[in-house]
Amino acid sequence: MMNPDEILKSGLFAVFAGGVISSDTDISRPLLLLDPRSVDVSVERTDSEVVLAILHTRTDESGVNITVGEGARLSIVELYLAEAFSEVRISQRVSSSCRMVCAELCGANVSYRMNLEGEGAENVLRGLFVASGADHCTVNIVTNHLVGGCKSDSMVKGVAFGQATGEFRGLVYVAEDAQNTDAMQQSRNIQSGGARISAMPQLEIYADDVRCSHGATVGQIDDEAVMYMRQRGLCEEEARRLLAEGFVNDIVCRCDVEPLRRIMEERVAEKTEGLR
Amino acid sequence: MLTVKNLHASVGDKEILRGINLEVKAGEVHAIMGPNGSGKSTLASVLAGSEKFTVTSGEVTFLGEDLLPLSVEERARRGLFLGFQYPVEIPGVSMANFMKLAVNERRKYLGKEPVGAAEFLRMMREKSAVVELDSKLTSRSVNEGFSGGEKKKNEIFQMAMLEPELAILDETDSGLDIDALRIVATGVTKLHTDRNATIVITHYQRLLDYIVPDYVHVLYKGRIIYSGDKSLALRLEKEGYDWLINEYGE
Amino acid sequence: MKDNERDILDSLERSDYKYGFTSDIETELIRRGLDEEVIRTISEKKQEPEWMLEYRLKAYRHWLTMEEPKWAHLTIPPIDFQDIIYYASPKQKKALGSMDEVDPELRRTFDKLGIPLEEQKALAGVAVDAVLDSVSVKTTFRETLAEKGIIFCPISEAIREYPDLVKRYLGSVVSYADNFYAALNSAVFSDGSFCYIPKGVRCPMELSTYFRINAQGTGQFERTLIVADEGSYVSYLEGCTAPRRDENQLHAAVVEIVVERDAEVKYSTVQNWYPGDKDGNGGIYNFVTKRGLCRENAHLSWTQVETGSAITWKYPSCVLLGDNSVGEFYSVAMTNHFQQADTGTKMIHIGRNTRSRIVSKGISAGRSQNSYRGLVKIGPKAECARNYSQCDSLLIGDRCGAHTFPHIDSRNSTAVVEHEATTSKISEDQLMYCNQRGLSTEEAVGLIVNGYAKEVLSKLPMEFAIEAQKLLSISLEGSVG
Repeated sequence: MMNPDEILKSGLFAVFAGGVISSDTDISRPLLLLDPRSVDVSVERTDSEVVLAILHTRTDESGVNITVGEGARLSIVELYLAEAFSEVRISQRVSSSCRMVCAELCGANVSYRMNLEGEGAENVLRGLFVASGADHCTVNIVTNHLVGGCKSDSMVKGVAFGQATGEFRGLVYVAEDAQNTDAMQQSRNIQSGGARISAMPQLEIYADDVRCSHGATVGQIDDEAVMYMRQRGLCEEEARRLLAEGFVNDIVCRCDVEPLRRIMEERVAEKTEGLR
Repeated sequence: MLTVKNLHASVGDKEILRGINLEVKAGEVHAIMGPNGSGKSTLASVLAGSEKFTVTSGEVTFLGEDLLPLSVEERARRGLFLGFQYPVEIPGVSMANFMKLAVNERRKYLGKEPVGAAEFLRMMREKSAVVELDSKLTSRSVNEGFSGGEKKKNEIFQMAMLEPELAILDETDSGLDIDALRIVATGVTKLHTDRNATIVITHYQRLLDYIVPDYVHVLYKGRIIYSGDKSLALRLEKEGYDWLINEYGE
Repeated sequence: MKDNERDILDSLERSDYKYGFTSDIETELIRRGLDEEVIRTISEKKQEPEWMLEYRLKAYRHWLTMEEPKWAHLTIPPIDFQDIIYYASPKQKKALGSMDEVDPELRRTFDKLGIPLEEQKALAGVAVDAVLDSVSVKTTFRETLAEKGIIFCPISEAIREYPDLVKRYLGSVVSYADNFYAALNSAVFSDGSFCYIPKGVRCPMELSTYFRINAQGTGQFERTLIVADEGSYVSYLEGCTAPRRDENQLHAAVVEIVVERDAEVKYSTVQNWYPGDKDGNGGIYNFVTKRGLCRENAHLSWTQVETGSAITWKYPSCVLLGDNSVGEFYSVAMTNHFQQADTGTKMIHIGRNTRSRIVSKGISAGRSQNSYRGLVKIGPKAECARNYSQCDSLLIGDRCGAHTFPHIDSRNSTAVVEHEATTSKISEDQLMYCNQRGLSTEEAVGLIVNGYAKEVLSKLPMEFAIEAQKLLSISLEGSVG
């Protein structure tokens, strides 16, 4: 796996310290926020999608405020490789879009607060956590539909095993008069060994012409599938590891920043090693 | 190759196999038939090592080795393949990745080097042609979103990849339309050599038009009550099982 | 707002609370306020044994240290607990021998409510315990039930007649320290029903308690204790109404159910306390603790249709202690005008192979707020526990709120828990379709809402289901223009 130094030296990213991303900003490479502590980002260009990578490699507190301007498009990939305590606040203006892939690969506490404040804004979040050993992974997602006509879709997949805890807290808030809201929030978890999963997906809705749904599931690795794979010669541990990997795979696939996806894949494989 | 002596197996308190005897030699094809609930699928699962069932007595040797103490994967690596009646969907795990691991586990057991990437891809292409499996399917997740026919073809494709000594095909013909049946069955026939053996579990004679059995066994209430050659299957198709059950059933 | 929605809302506002009459019955009240002396007075009036008084005092002293729960999605005006009369009873000269001796006005009250108090209602096959204000006024069919060894009587009587049973089970499921309102109830409860089904007995008829608050300025604190001994079965119904008053009245009940090994209890509630007027004046504060404890292979099913009360705070729950026990919760909660409801359930899986199912249907109209709140907890020893929850919300009008607050906490990795929730409104297409077939919008809404709630209504005993269906339609009257 690449370490932060290698990532910086690789030349695959443009190091970014925050501020305005305008049509003058060079976005030919993904912009990289490395261990941000307190950063404001404002996306103002509308001609093409801006790719922002956020990487947490230190145990630290982190706060990132992002404004996605009218008509702007932002793609965020955020990786937690250390036990960060992080909050990302995103304000989306009219017709903006923001798609996010977040991977919590150690016991971090992460929060996403999305304010959809301009009509036609769209937010798609795909997150995963893998909690092993004594990890405690927490994901908080608050999606505020403050005006009508916005769309949000969040899905977090979690794997917890060993003595780890995985915690999901979600809220979809639909303000009065935020009609024609389309909101979805899902928490899907698998649990193994002595792990604990806690899921609180919540809906708070004050407008009637809405399509809102949420769901949460807790289950385990499919024994039938383990049996099937063993019949083809894989040992049980390998089968379980593959299944856990496969479970979060559709989230990993969403990451189109190649080096970061590789880190995700490697880290997920590493963490699910010896999964019982 | 496979010798089963007086095999008894149960699930919970319920005894399902009540003394199975079976001898399968290299190069042979055996068909196991019988009414619903007679224990056909159980026999396949027990031979594969499913932990759902408890073997209460009896012996099974496979290639000269006691099979019963071996785990599911150990049996698989030794060349015992089970074609599942209901192949399991495994979301997020690609066929290629899955097969590569499986093939290499088998090769490791056989003392061979792991297969290289290029060689593996060539194998995948070649073997998927055996069952006319759309090569696009091999880049998808295992069985996910496959049609019933595709799943069964995929089983035979995996059999081709793993080159087992003994293949047990559990109702591989169920749910197949006539074209898919022909493709699957010819696939199995193509894979048949004088060094391997096949046990076909089926309800219908029609599969046996393609895969011609050397022996046909009738399983009833956990016992093989009658064995014959391929003509037995034809008679069963015409007359049903009653005549046999009346004569040989308890 | 669209025209037909306005029509819906208008007609909702016109709809009336038909149980809002008051009865002119002479009532005996004690003084306002709460202190140890008041508790002693209540206990004395009930001719209770010393241990019961001790229990009440213990609960009261604990209550003094507690605060009202604030976590619910409710706006509760401050309640002056010293401004409530904790005991009121219809004046009676002597103990009642038969129905004929009941105060005619009281009988008229229950007739108006349509409660089958009279013996000829035998055909209805329902045994009723009717609780007016603080006193159980009449329990029917006691003799028939006694033949089977079933005890069904006012709890005040059970405390005197069956002290061993009551002592053993009272507070065993809901301790007096459980929460603020349970503590208050344990200190001041005045009556309610007690029911004991002996081992292996299938209760031959539905048992029912009907609660009615009548007197002004009083609170109602009834206590229900149901014990289904090993292998027994009972279906229990609870109904409630109150007169229309401008003041808010407090109702803080506790229902405890013990379901012993292999037993089954079905508990159905049609809660129709006065909900307040269309401007949000008056109405009952319904703060209720209901919980059942299930032993091995036991089965407890809660079904509730909640249409009344200004504020509802209520979570009928199951503690699935025994292996293979099953808990169910079926709920329709409908709020209109300024009503607020925060209701749901807790399924606590402790034993192996325990299963639970939650179906909650919320309907919000007017300016009401309707919340589902649920906890599904899988303990570390609950191997192979299963839960499935489906929580839907239906919004009628754009000034109301529908909220869903589930919590899943799984500590056993063989558990399978699924929660799904959706929020929607009655679609224009559905209405249009019904209109085209000649139904008025009002009829159509009634139809659609009843269809929406059907899965829950079908769990109710027949007579109750029909009543509940009517109730939903009345509460929604004109809700579709």
